Amino acid sequence: METDALVRDYIARLEAAAVRLPAGRRAELVDEVRGHIEAAIAAEPTSGEAAVRNVLDRLGKPEVIVGAEIPPGDASFAAATTDMSPTVTAERPGIGPLEVVAVLLVTVGAFFVPIIGPAIGIVLVWMSRAWSTQWKLVITLVVLVVVLLPIVGLMSAGGAGGVIQSSPVPVQ
Amino acid sequence: MVRGETRNQATELRRGVLELCVLAVLQRGESYAFDIVRDLSDAGELLTSEGTIYPLLARMREQGVVTTTWRESASGPPRRYYRLTDGGRRALVGMVGDWARFRDGVDALLASGGEVRRGD
Repeated sequence: METDALVRDYIARLEAAAVRLPAGRRAELVDEVRGHIEAAIAAEPTSGEAAVRNVLDRLGKPEVIVGAEIPPGDASFAAATTDMSPTVTAERPGIGPLEVVAVLLVTVGAFFVPIIGPAIGIVLVWMSRAWSTQWKLVITLVVLVVVLLPIVGLMSAGGAGGVIQSSPVPVQ
Repeated sequence: MVRGETRNQATELRRGVLELCVLAVLQRGESYAFDIVRDLSDAGELLTSEGTIYPLLARMREQGVVTTTWRESASGPPRRYYRLTDGGRRALVGMVGDWARFRDGVDALLASGGEVRRGD
C-alpha cells in the first residue's frame, strides 16, 4: 500500500509538472513513465518500499523529465520554465474529459437532468483550468438565464404560455 | 539570466551526446525504451535521470531519425520498439565524426596539461 502511494505521488508530481506540455504529449509522457515504473519494479531483485524508492530515484525528478521535453536551444520555452513568477500568463491546458462533461451537462444535461445537470456542469466549469474567469462568468450567467427564465415564466404564466415550450427544461 | 544560460549549455551538451548514444544503441537493431535505458546505464551511467529518455525519444521521433512499431510482449503491456531510419543512420555517421573530433581535441588539451602545440 505504501509503495502504491509512492508511485501515485510521483505520477501526480509528473502530471503537475507536465501541465505546460501540449495535452496529447502530456498524456503520452505520463503513460510512458508509468509503464517504465511498472517494468522497473518488476525487474528489481527485491520488492517493497526500498525497491520502489530505488526505481523512482533512478527515474529522476518529475520536473527534470518534463524539463527535458524542451527542445534544446529554445530560449522562449526555457525562460518560461525557469521563470516562476506567477504574473506570467501560463498557457492554459487544453480541453480534457472534465471540460467535455461540463459542456455536456450545461447544454444537453438540461434536457435529461433539469436544474441538477446544469448545476453540476457549472461547478465543473469553475473547477476547470481551461477557461478564464471571465468565460466562466459568462457561461454561468447564460446557463442561469436559460435555465431559470423558463421556470420564472412558467410560474407567472401559470403553465399556459406557448413561449415556454422552447425552453430547455422539459415542461411536464 | 546568465546562470540559466550556463545551465542550458550543460544540458544541451549532454543531450547532444545522449542522442548519439541512443543512435549507437539502435544501430545494432530495434529496441524499446526500457532496454535502451539499460544499455546506456550498463555502458557507464550515461543517463543521470532515466526518465529523460522519453522526451529524448519523442524528439527523435519528431526529427524522423527513428520510427516506432508497437509489439506485443510476453510479459506485460505492448512495447514501443524504436528503429533507425535512413536519416538516423546518416545523423549517426555525422555525429560520430563530430564526437571523435571533440573527444580528440579535449583529450589532447588535457594530456598536454593545457599547453596547445602548434605546427609540428
